[in-house]
Amino acid sequence: MPKLLIVIPAYNEEGSIERVVDDLIQNYPQYDYVVVNDGSRDRTAAICRSRGYRLIDLPVNLGLAGAFQTGLRYAAEHGYDCAMQLDADGQHLPRYIAPMLEKLEAGADIVIGSRFVTVLKPRTLRMVGSYLISWAIRLTTGQPICDPTSGMRMFNRRLLEEFAQNLNYGPEPDTISYLIKNGAVVKEVQVKMAERTAGESYLNFARSVQYMIKMGLSILLIQWFRKRDTTYPYPERSL
Amino acid sequence: MIEISIYLRVLLVLGSISTAAFILKRIRQAKVQIEDCIFWLFFAAFLLLLSIFPEVASWVSRLLEFESPINLVYLLIIFVLLVHQFSMTVRISQMDFKLRTLAQKVALNERDQEEHEAAHTAQPGSAALGKADFSSEEKT
Repeated sequence: MPKLLIVIPAYNEEGSIERVVDDLIQNYPQYDYVVVNDGSRDRTAAICRSRGYRLIDLPVNLGLAGAFQTGLRYAAEHGYDCAMQLDADGQHLPRYIAPMLEKLEAGADIVIGSRFVTVLKPRTLRMVGSYLISWAIRLTTGQPICDPTSGMRMFNRRLLEEFAQNLNYGPEPDTISYLIKNGAVVKEVQVKMAERTAGESYLNFARSVQYMIKMGLSILLIQWFRKRDTTYPYPERSL
Repeated sequence: MIEISIYLRVLLVLGSISTAAFILKRIRQAKVQIEDCIFWLFFAAFLLLLSIFPEVASWVSRLLEFESPINLVYLLIIFVLLVHQFSMTVRISQMDFKLRTLAQKVALNERDQEEHEAAHTAQPGSAALGKADFSSEEKT
């Protein structure tokens, strides 16, 4: 089995981090995990320390992209074969890790835990953004990505190295689209997601609009001008 | 209607195109974060539009009773840049704070490590060694 690192970026998640990590430790001891505390202002880091979790404690807030990148850097430097993001709010269910890992071993570079492969995407206001991003990705790459905003993504060794060291490699749909256009193999696996039980969603209306503008421009416009630079400083270790 | 000579027009268009090209080249070389270049892309597009259709500026300036279109153009560009400048100031302040926090964290970590090492090399019971270590360090 390939060596997998589960990266759990956590920002002010004192209400749920314990449940998520304890579940991993008890029920999925075959996978390694690391919690990346993104300069939380609550007791997230203290809880992780007192429970003895494997923790990377960032002294300042870097944002999701920076926190996740920290985890990938750890994975790259410790010789992991693949890495994935698992949200600390408990939305992502670890029982779908095994099928995702299978897909990755079958030759994908990126596997997305997607809510809408076999399930129809609900036509609600909340999903408007998701529809628009799906459409933009389809338009620019020709590949349907049913759930582009899902944060549950798994990367193989080559991609995790690329993510670990480059600018403009946020764990977001525009990076996915850009990588598909540059020849990366992206697959989706049907998953269910839980509702968040504690904490607050980061996205309010204004932030959603801002996010959409950024993603739209990035996917439709900017990526035509981006150049993929692939030099790997980490020693080769493939699946 | 103010007439603009064809030479000036060509000059303006060339200027705005090369501005856009410069911005896109930097993005291509991955020197700028995408969220940062969105503003500049909009700005370059605005310059380009204005150089191709300068009538828009004179029309709006007549509508708002500006003395001349150039006043409107200057006012608009200066205002947009001011707002952008302010948001940059905010970001610099935040980065300043983060940098200070990071430097302090690194220094404190190093101190902790030195104390840890001193405690390990010291014989059990001789707690003074850590302090002696510290004073000798200050002299060098």
